[in-house]
Amino acid sequence: MKILCDRTALQEAVNVVSSVVPAKTTKPILHNFLVRSSDNGITLFATDLEMAARVELDSVKVSKKGSVLLPARETGALLRELSDPTVTLESTDQRCRIESGGGNFVLLGEDPAQFPDEAKVKGGKRIEIEVGRMLRMIQETAFAAAREETRYAINGVLLDASAGTVRMVATDGRRLAISYATVPTKAECKVVVPLRALNTLARALSEGSKETLSIEVGDKQIVFVTGKAQLVSQLLETRFPDYEGVVPKSADTTVEITRAVLEGALRRSSVLCSSDMRVVRFEIGEQSLRMTADNSSRGRADVTIDAVVKGSGGSINFNPDYILEALRVCQLDTIRLDMSDDSMPAKFTLGEAFTYIVMPISGA
Amino acid sequence: MIRKLPPEVVNQIAAGEVVERPSSVVKELVENALDAGARRIRVELRAGGAEAIVVIDDGDGFLPEDLPLAFASHATSKLQGVADLDHIGSLGFRGEALASIGAVARCRILSRRHDAQEGWEVRCEGGVETSPQPCGAPAGTRMEVRDLFFNVPARRRFLKSASAERARIQELIAELSLARLDVDFTLVGDDREILRLPRDESLAQRFARCFGEELAKGLLPVSRAFDGMKVEGLVAEPDLARRDGKLELMFVNGRLARESSSLHAVRQAFREYLMGGRFPIYALQVALPPDQVDVNIHPRKAEVRFVEARMVAGRLHETVRAALLGRLGLPMAAGGVVIAPDMPRARSGFPQLPPSLFGDAVLPPPPPSAAGAEPYVVREPVAAPAPAFARGAAASTPPVVSRLNPFQRVTGRYLQVMDLYLLLEGQDGLMVVDQHALHERVMYEQLRQQHAARAVQSQRLLVPTVVEVTPAELAWFEAAQEALQQEGLHVAPFGPGAIAVHAVPTVLARLDARKLVRSLVVGDETAGMAPVREALADRFHSMACRSAVMSGDRLNDAEIQQLLVDAARLEHPHNCPHGRPTVLTFTGPELERYFRRRC
Ligand SMILES: Nc1ncnc2c1ncn2[C@@H]1O[C@H](COP(=O)(O)OP(=O)(O)O)[C@@H](O)[C@H]1O
Ligand SMILES: [Mg+2]
Repeated sequence: MKILCDRTALQEAVNVVSSVVPAKTTKPILHNFLVRSSDNGITLFATDLEMAARVELDSVKVSKKGSVLLPARETGALLRELSDPTVTLESTDQRCRIESGGGNFVLLGEDPAQFPDEAKVKGGKRIEIEVGRMLRMIQETAFAAAREETRYAINGVLLDASAGTVRMVATDGRRLAISYATVPTKAECKVVVPLRALNTLARALSEGSKETLSIEVGDKQIVFVTGKAQLVSQLLETRFPDYEGVVPKSADTTVEITRAVLEGALRRSSVLCSSDMRVVRFEIGEQSLRMTADNSSRGRADVTIDAVVKGSGGSINFNPDYILEALRVCQLDTIRLDMSDDSMPAKFTLGEAFTYIVMPISGA
Repeated sequence: MIRKLPPEVVNQIAAGEVVERPSSVVKELVENALDAGARRIRVELRAGGAEAIVVIDDGDGFLPEDLPLAFASHATSKLQGVADLDHIGSLGFRGEALASIGAVARCRILSRRHDAQEGWEVRCEGGVETSPQPCGAPAGTRMEVRDLFFNVPARRRFLKSASAERARIQELIAELSLARLDVDFTLVGDDREILRLPRDESLAQRFARCFGEELAKGLLPVSRAFDGMKVEGLVAEPDLARRDGKLELMFVNGRLARESSSLHAVRQAFREYLMGGRFPIYALQVALPPDQVDVNIHPRKAEVRFVEARMVAGRLHETVRAALLGRLGLPMAAGGVVIAPDMPRARSGFPQLPPSLFGDAVLPPPPPSAAGAEPYVVREPVAAPAPAFARGAAASTPPVVSRLNPFQRVTGRYLQVMDLYLLLEGQDGLMVVDQHALHERVMYEQLRQQHAARAVQSQRLLVPTVVEVTPAELAWFEAAQEALQQEGLHVAPFGPGAIAVHAVPTVLARLDARKLVRSLVVGDETAGMAPVREALADRFHSMACRSAVMSGDRLNDAEIQQLLVDAARLEHPHNCPHGRPTVLTFTGPELERYFRRRC
């Protein structure tokens, strides 16, 4: 194989496929990515057997067709260090010569025939969504997912599409985040996508982009396609709890607060929570919200901020970290809290299409 | 072909349950002597009991009319009908021991009632009994058991060496004797006196005589009366703990017996004082109304069951805990068993110490210049040699038992070496302290104290976690529901074979709820709240470990002094929470011996 291509384009493509290359694996061949050339372009492919990434690159001058397996880390690092606008790759057997202004390098690859094949996705349903919107949905949910294998929603986020709405839902059993979007397609599906796949996808998506991300949901896999890049992931076969059931339908009290003020106040009070007892007490005043934290060995915090309060008031305890994590990805200026008492879930409205449910702490 | 076994064989098989080895014979015979009201019991052995076991008592003696039935099975004078089974006051009640022993040995009974002129003799060999013959005999009973298992060669081959059997019998008599301080015991092996336990000594004296004089100094008396239950006895200082559970002795209404939830409860009370793999030492007499105890569940009567097992276990825990606390004059938290029961809630009754070990006036001079350059910096912060703690204590609190906390007896001279060890001058000698281990213990106690002082809080779960349980576990959870809720764990039955977890203790909120619940029911479902508390203790351990000063941290004077002040307040300063020792003391005499100043 012999090709000549734009160095920056190749480097970006290598970065995308490298995102699925495992850091540690018992199958060393997976440290590589595959380059395969056609008449006027190349395809890069890498996988960790749970996820696979593929990028197509055109405007490549192919003087000799073929394929080669290259070590992902070294290739990526090398391309970053080169300075010429173009680069030539020429492979014979499993050696690949890289030629660019900075010198002459030989990378030792492995046999391309030994590399796993791309999976064929069966029974796909297609959903199309704006890239920027998808990125927001991932940001608004992924943080709330359980990260330990032991809990029920194992490292995954629910993707629930029906009647022109796509919802993403994540929970760790103590809080639950829902983010949704309306889409033109009417496909129906309810699958759990691994957190790792979503994080990898998020890295490839750009904030606010109006481009289209097309999602194809199969029985066992899900495929995300934007432009020339494609990410395939295995789906998780976990049962996701009935999230609609936990969203409270009514509340005794509604509080509206300026997000930045709440975040600052909560951050300050949570300093005085001990590391084993993360509890901040919310007391709803007439037009105020008072937050107190008590760490018997370090001190007390007592902060009061303005709020617009409707309803009976009262008090409720939260783990402040749960709220701070959500505020970090919230873009609204004013957020709303609907709450009842210690035993009922509280609902935070953190965006036009972003709802966050937190279970309070009782018995304080 | 199915054949009915001849009666000798049936008796031999039955005997196997009761008579396992010489010590089981001794146990039955000594119990019989005690049941007969003996005040003096002498046990003689030949070849560890394999050749002969003779038990001589000064009890009531056999009624002559009972003698023909002495070796008959299920013949007893202690029980008449089924109704008697639930208030057994005697040690024997099955009437099986003599029948079993008689089936597998050559036996002879010589017995005379105190009011009779004449004694009687009866023999039994391999289950065949002679008719009683009148003869002269001292008042009381002499039981001879010779050639044990002479007709069961398989059993005889399995006997251990004479010395091993003798050692076991010695242990057994020691154990049995603790329940009866009013009885004089003598054990003689091959004409040599092995054990002599005069009567009317204190429990501690007898305990030390039986199990080693070095234990005598570390025995704490225990005595507590509850409604319908009494606990008395001794617990040994945790630092005396053994590598086996041999000296975990519990007597239920005078009977040496185990009961699993009580065993667990007492171990639990000792838990954080003991290094892994160590077992506490104690001898506890538990007195309960006889109808609260089922003694008829084990062939050798070595185990009993309580009707109110959980309550008894809880009270034992409380009692032992209180005794361990009593060492420092610390009161126990009210309300019985609570999380971290070893610390009084929020400062109550805690000795008030001065804020600094040395007081502001005698703050140490600044360390010598370029201290960091010297490998070891000698610091002599106090001029006065008076023990610092004693001064503080004398001011406001009654004196405490200082044997227990060596840090209350330091003179104030110290030296940090290798950025890991502190050398202290204590009144007992030279103390070498592992700074990390000691600080870990300090942190651990502080965390527990804080925890005890604040209200239990629960993180509610969004969706209840459902855990499948067996019907027995379900019943346990239903019974424990309220108690668990007090610890912050909210569970409720969920259909026939499951429970739902609605909230978990906030301190443990990061744990998986299902695992937490499973840990409650694995193994011993009578363990009560212990696993929740163990999970808490583990959490405190790891937090303490993370926040403690490390080896390699050079400490400044203020830090060392603070550590010593904190250490002086510790209830149990000898081990870090993982059980590693914190301090090693070389006493004056030890050092003298080492330097050959004396031999
Ligand atoms: N040392 C003894 N002194 C007086 N009576 C005894 C003695 N040993 C046994 N006996 C009598 O023999 C009976 C049978 O003893 P044993 O087989 O051990 O049954 P148990 O002790 O269960 O009654 C006892 O009930 C008691 O009447
Ligand atoms: Mg008996």
